[in-house]
Amino acid sequence: MVKVIEHKVSREVKAWLKKEAAEQKERYKKIVAEQEALSPKRDKWVADFLERIQSRGFNVHADMLRKIPAAEIPKKPRRKFKVVF
Amino acid sequence: MARPHIEPFVDRDVSFKKMTLPGFPKGMHYKMLSMDTDTGASSMTVMYENGYAQPPGMSYADMELFIMSGYLESDEKRYTPGTYFWVPPGVHMPALRAPRGCVALMFYNYAEPSFVESDSDHQLAERDHLTIVNAYEDMHWTSTNFFPATASGCLVKVLRFDQRTQAFTFLYCMTPNFWQDNISYHDCAEEAYHIWGTSWMMQFGNLPTGGYFWRPPYINHGAFACKLGTLALGRTDSQLYNHFHFNPWSTPEENRERAGARMLAWKPELYRWIEQHGGHNHPHVPNDFEYDGQGDPHAIAHAHGVPHDHGDGHHDHEHEEKPKRRRRSRTK
Ligand SMILES: [Fe+2]
Repeated sequence: MVKVIEHKVSREVKAWLKKEAAEQKERYKKIVAEQEALSPKRDKWVADFLERIQSRGFNVHADMLRKIPAAEIPKKPRRKFKVVF
Repeated sequence: MARPHIEPFVDRDVSFKKMTLPGFPKGMHYKMLSMDTDTGASSMTVMYENGYAQPPGMSYADMELFIMSGYLESDEKRYTPGTYFWVPPGVHMPALRAPRGCVALMFYNYAEPSFVESDSDHQLAERDHLTIVNAYEDMHWTSTNFFPATASGCLVKVLRFDQRTQAFTFLYCMTPNFWQDNISYHDCAEEAYHIWGTSWMMQFGNLPTGGYFWRPPYINHGAFACKLGTLALGRTDSQLYNHFHFNPWSTPEENRERAGARMLAWKPELYRWIEQHGGHNHPHVPNDFEYDGQGDPHAIAHAHGVPHDHGDGHHDHEHEEKPKRRRRSRTK
């Protein structure tokens, strides 16, 4: 299956791509900042999740649930908690 | 880099821009959702003005279009909301109009958006792959059929499935009060757009109507919840496997390594075969007789973008088609 038919990329198209790439960079930065600001809420969501998988269960497959023993619950590492990469 | 991790992004927060790329008719507006900065491949929300008219034409790369509101029409047919097109490169579409305007999702997978006026197919066009289906009217919801699967209440309609890569495009919904308490990641990139509804993920919070993400492989997402229901369009760039776990803090590198370890546990024979045959003076990539014939392994490695050397001890080498990128051999 042909993925792309070879063609010349005009200067106008290149300029458009460059502008879009620059705008995307800004969009990405904004997302990172917004997600950083969400950290306190996220920590609470994570604590609730770790609690629920011990009490109600973890979805192993579809609706199959397993109650995770406390000993298996991971500990928060020291490194920064990132969700956007 | 290919496409960055754009998650979450809500297109309602930005305005439409005029499409100014050469070839596209007047009256088309767009919001860029994400773009591959190497190839120009793009995902966009597009809006056609009332009275928009497009001559017959084709694009250089494959194009997917999903109509969300309004309609497009040709001389023969009206394409209403739910209509999904997958148009292979070089396949020409008839003249299309949007008498009352139309809003759609548009995806170009391997190159920048293009439109070339033409009333015939390009000589390389593979028209037999052209797909047009109305997902709302002509298809039923099914369970996801993956193992391990998402929880009940997440349903799909598969719009396109690439046999070679297992990349697929699908409509999905989450029923009201859906929940799934696990964390997932995949070996593929995953992309989605909320046509309607809000759902929640433990990392990113609520994603409302108009919400979008492009998520590269191995990035944690979930637990999941949805209060009132969600209708969305999703896409992957290769096979989707749900690697579920419950460590909220694992990194993409750790996730990838775990995926490799799991691969070894699931398919030890194949894993070892690939490991043995990936070295110097061996074919760099397994040959698929269905697609590659008895092809030159080096050419196949190129076609798949797999890092390799030329058997001359030089691991770092440059290729004409991608002069800026240096690749390291995996045997190094
Ligand atoms: Fe996913």
